[in-house]
Amino acid sequence: MNATFALWAGSLALISALLVVTRASVVHALIWLLVTLLSLSASFFALGASFAGAAQILIYAGAILAVFVFVVMTVDASPKALEQERARLGRAWVPPALVAALVLVPLFAWRGAPGADTAAPMGAAVSATDLGMLLFGPWAAVVEIASGLLLAALMGARHLGRRGKPEGRG
Amino acid sequence: MIILGTILTLVFSAVLIAALLVAAGVFTWVERRVLGFFQERLGPNRVGPFGFLQWVADTVKLITKEDAAPPGADLFAYRLAPVLASAPVLAGFGVIAFAPQMSVAALDMGLIFAMGMLALTVYGMVLGAWASRNRYAMLGGLRAGAQLLAYESFLGLSLMGVVLLTGSFNLGQIVAAQGDLWFVVQQPLGCLLFLIAGTAAAHRLPFDLQESEQDLVAGFMTEYSGMSFALFFLGEYLAILLVAALATTLFFGGWHGPWLPGPVWFGVKMGVIAFAFIWVRAALPRPRYDQLITFAWKAALPLALLNLLLTGALVVLGGQP
Amino acid sequence: MSLDTPPLAPVVEALRAQFGPAILSQQETGEGFPVLWITPEASPGVHHFLRERVPQPFTLLADLWAVDETRRQHRPGPARGVTVQSHLISLERNADIRLKVACDADAPRARSVAQVFPAADWYEREAFDMFGVTFDGRASHRRILMPATWQGHPLRKDHYARATEQPPFRMTEEFFAAEEAANTIDPVALGLPVLKDGEELMQLNFGPHHPSTHGVFRIVLGLHGEEVIWAVPDIGYHHRGAEKMAERQTWHGFIPYTDRIDYLGGVMSELPYLMAVERMCGITVPARAQVIRVMLCEFYRIMNHLLFYGTMAQDVGQMSPVFYMFTDRERGYRVLEAITGARMHPAFFRIGGVAMDLPNGWDGLVRDFLDWMPPRLDDYRRMVMNSDLFRIRTVGVGAYDTETALKWGTTGPGLRATGMACDWRKLRPYSGYDQFEFDIPTGSRGDIYDRTDVREQEMRQSLRIIRQCLDNMPGGPVKADHPLTTPPDRAAMQHDIDTLIPHFLTMAQGTVVPRGEATGQIETHRGLAQYALISDGGTSSYRTRIRTPSFAHLQMLPHILPGMTVADVVAHIASLDFVMSDVDR
Repeated sequence: MNATFALWAGSLALISALLVVTRASVVHALIWLLVTLLSLSASFFALGASFAGAAQILIYAGAILAVFVFVVMTVDASPKALEQERARLGRAWVPPALVAALVLVPLFAWRGAPGADTAAPMGAAVSATDLGMLLFGPWAAVVEIASGLLLAALMGARHLGRRGKPEGRG
Repeated sequence: MIILGTILTLVFSAVLIAALLVAAGVFTWVERRVLGFFQERLGPNRVGPFGFLQWVADTVKLITKEDAAPPGADLFAYRLAPVLASAPVLAGFGVIAFAPQMSVAALDMGLIFAMGMLALTVYGMVLGAWASRNRYAMLGGLRAGAQLLAYESFLGLSLMGVVLLTGSFNLGQIVAAQGDLWFVVQQPLGCLLFLIAGTAAAHRLPFDLQESEQDLVAGFMTEYSGMSFALFFLGEYLAILLVAALATTLFFGGWHGPWLPGPVWFGVKMGVIAFAFIWVRAALPRPRYDQLITFAWKAALPLALLNLLLTGALVVLGGQP
Repeated sequence: MSLDTPPLAPVVEALRAQFGPAILSQQETGEGFPVLWITPEASPGVHHFLRERVPQPFTLLADLWAVDETRRQHRPGPARGVTVQSHLISLERNADIRLKVACDADAPRARSVAQVFPAADWYEREAFDMFGVTFDGRASHRRILMPATWQGHPLRKDHYARATEQPPFRMTEEFFAAEEAANTIDPVALGLPVLKDGEELMQLNFGPHHPSTHGVFRIVLGLHGEEVIWAVPDIGYHHRGAEKMAERQTWHGFIPYTDRIDYLGGVMSELPYLMAVERMCGITVPARAQVIRVMLCEFYRIMNHLLFYGTMAQDVGQMSPVFYMFTDRERGYRVLEAITGARMHPAFFRIGGVAMDLPNGWDGLVRDFLDWMPPRLDDYRRMVMNSDLFRIRTVGVGAYDTETALKWGTTGPGLRATGMACDWRKLRPYSGYDQFEFDIPTGSRGDIYDRTDVREQEMRQSLRIIRQCLDNMPGGPVKADHPLTTPPDRAAMQHDIDTLIPHFLTMAQGTVVPRGEATGQIETHRGLAQYALISDGGTSSYRTRIRTPSFAHLQMLPHILPGMTVADVVAHIASLDFVMSDVDR
């Protein structure tokens, strides 16, 4: 049941991901990216990784993509610009496809190889406590490094935000 | 057995969705009547007893009205946006526990899921704004995006105190943990911050800048009419109910209460909180957009962090989970 | 009387000494201030002299307008085709002076004084629009009230006054497209920036159909994000040609039109018009009529300020106060309805008095209202003025100082909020205002909050005045005993033939007002309203010039809006408290 659902959600994610890279309008592409992220999250839930699923919705779909949309809203979406974009898509699908193939082929080859990890837990729920124990136990150093990175990003953003501020306006 | 369970869940979902739609409709009537009494006027009092069926009449009107799109609109996004504004909120109700064992999906991550669903409504606003090809809508959409980022940050953090005290994201367990004492007593600051952020999440006055009718006409939904408009409207009222349900769950003891059955208590508490939303709307002016963002980042976020820090310290010192 | 201000002989002498033959003559009028004819060439110099070089200078350009003299039978000395007039006021002296420049009838040309008085800008555009006067020294001549596509200049005597004098109107595709195209604002042509920091500005059409522009007012904003970089107001959507109508209506028949100049002012605009007419007729209004006039004016001041107060709160997002204030307005209208028989447009004042005496029991109604309002006002103070959210939205926003205000011709609460206690009711008490005790509330910062505060306190002062009217209402007639009183007292008309004949004549033909020029000024709820009338000895006015406060107040917008956000624009517009009918006339 859960496995079927996961498969279904995964296929949905794949299809919408294809749609993402073939849309001429960048906002439409983002809508499909949203579908991709939500389908991925659904498949996380089905596989028992509910924290990853919920975080996927809240952080990727809810916040990060919203920033994308926020920025992309302001780009030119006139029919002329769309036409131009379509023309570009028609010519330029080869290099991205090659790159994708370069990534995917080894992945599938490795999956198919004997001795690969096929014993992934199916449907066994991972609780937040377990995840927390894991993150702040064996992986604590990585989490700290990541938080350092975030702090640096925060300071960078603050610095960039300050620079353009006009003087003396309340 | 599994099939039976699925069927039961489906039936419960259907009943819940129907109940929520009716509740949202009734809530619009309650709001208009209550605002009327606040403002020395009557409000709708013609359709049915005390005008109670006004929302039915409005629904019929909205369904039968032409659903026009402005020329130059991006129809795909334009039609999708109202759905995105209302459907996630309905999904968010799926994890609410109205009584012990009474929820569509008692997810372990229920709280995060519900917050995620609230956050998704921003797509409705932003896409609707973008698709309308209207400059007022555009300004509203930009405000919606910026505002989401500002309050989402402290919305989540304000709840983490409760999570620390309970040790769970499961809404059923959070309510169960409040049998003796409501969390509003232990987390007054968290509760206040959540209600502020919740007002913003439900984009209600004074935080309804993305649709502030004084400067942006109707903001992101300026161009919408008929059923598309109704879906935005529904999304807003459902969001109020969802925020009220979350507040009830997290801070006001959920189904706990003497004499009456649990779901009734839950409904009563939700109703009181939703009433407070109406009250605030009747009373307060609206801050400017930059003032709200400044408040969110410079006052609310640090306070939420402080609340989290203090709660964490107390939990560690107290040796609780 | 209003304009019997101190004699200005020294100033006139100084002008003659400075400009010599450029000062052509001093016109004898019934006005209480000097009216000087000057040469067109000397005009900017004379204005500059009066603005900068005389002690207690004339800082306020109250009005600038034109008169088409071509059909005038009793033309004053130097007048030729079109006369351009400007009315200057010195608040320190409490004195006025009027300057006239004679121009040709065909292609009239005058010199621009916008360099000296920035407020002249829109007035000169109006003179160009209405009379075709071109002003040397102006960069451009754009129409202001009429559409850019209009043919001819409406206030010229040879321009038709009614649509029926023209072939039937047909709306064609081409006409519609041309009108639409003429409505676009091209920032490049107006010398406005298109970019800021290399980013394209968004042009936002704010109005004419926008919930917050308080009528059909359009303002085009150049936005950088939410920040306003430039603003171009576009008025004229509410223009009805009231000044043209005045030339066709009888003196008496124009009274209802004045109600509609400022449709929230009720009887208020009737007063300056009638003051000017009564001045030309030489009528002294009896005391009871004067006090009734004062009482009604103050009632309408409260009515207007309540509406302002409520919409001000609503425009910063506070939903409820406006509903409470409509309740209060309803109570006020109950009184006004009982006295005048109408609510918004009573047309209650008459030449030489008021239409009828107060009804029985009026005092009870007024007393009820006086008891009702103060606690309500206290409530609103707690609800609106003391609200922190209202304060952060309004304190320090949209502020200007007294000098800027006067530079742009701002009067009324907008001027008093800057700290200047300038009120025509005190400055030049008309209609017996000197008999009343009241204070002039002032502000200090000149921002939105102060403008709201000043109006809020003015309501309390108005209540004070009404209370005094109630307690001290004099007896006696409500119409002057004068042959030109229109219509004459009914009882007398039914009794003696000496009144019946004037009654018949004034009703059949209209009152013949003796020829002359007269000006009426009052302090309306918005500021200085001035009616400058010319009678050519006929049954209707030769020229009725209506100076409204709102027109001047809007002119400042392009200079004060840049730097604000869109939400502030709404709050600022609300705080100016204009009515588009008052702007466009």
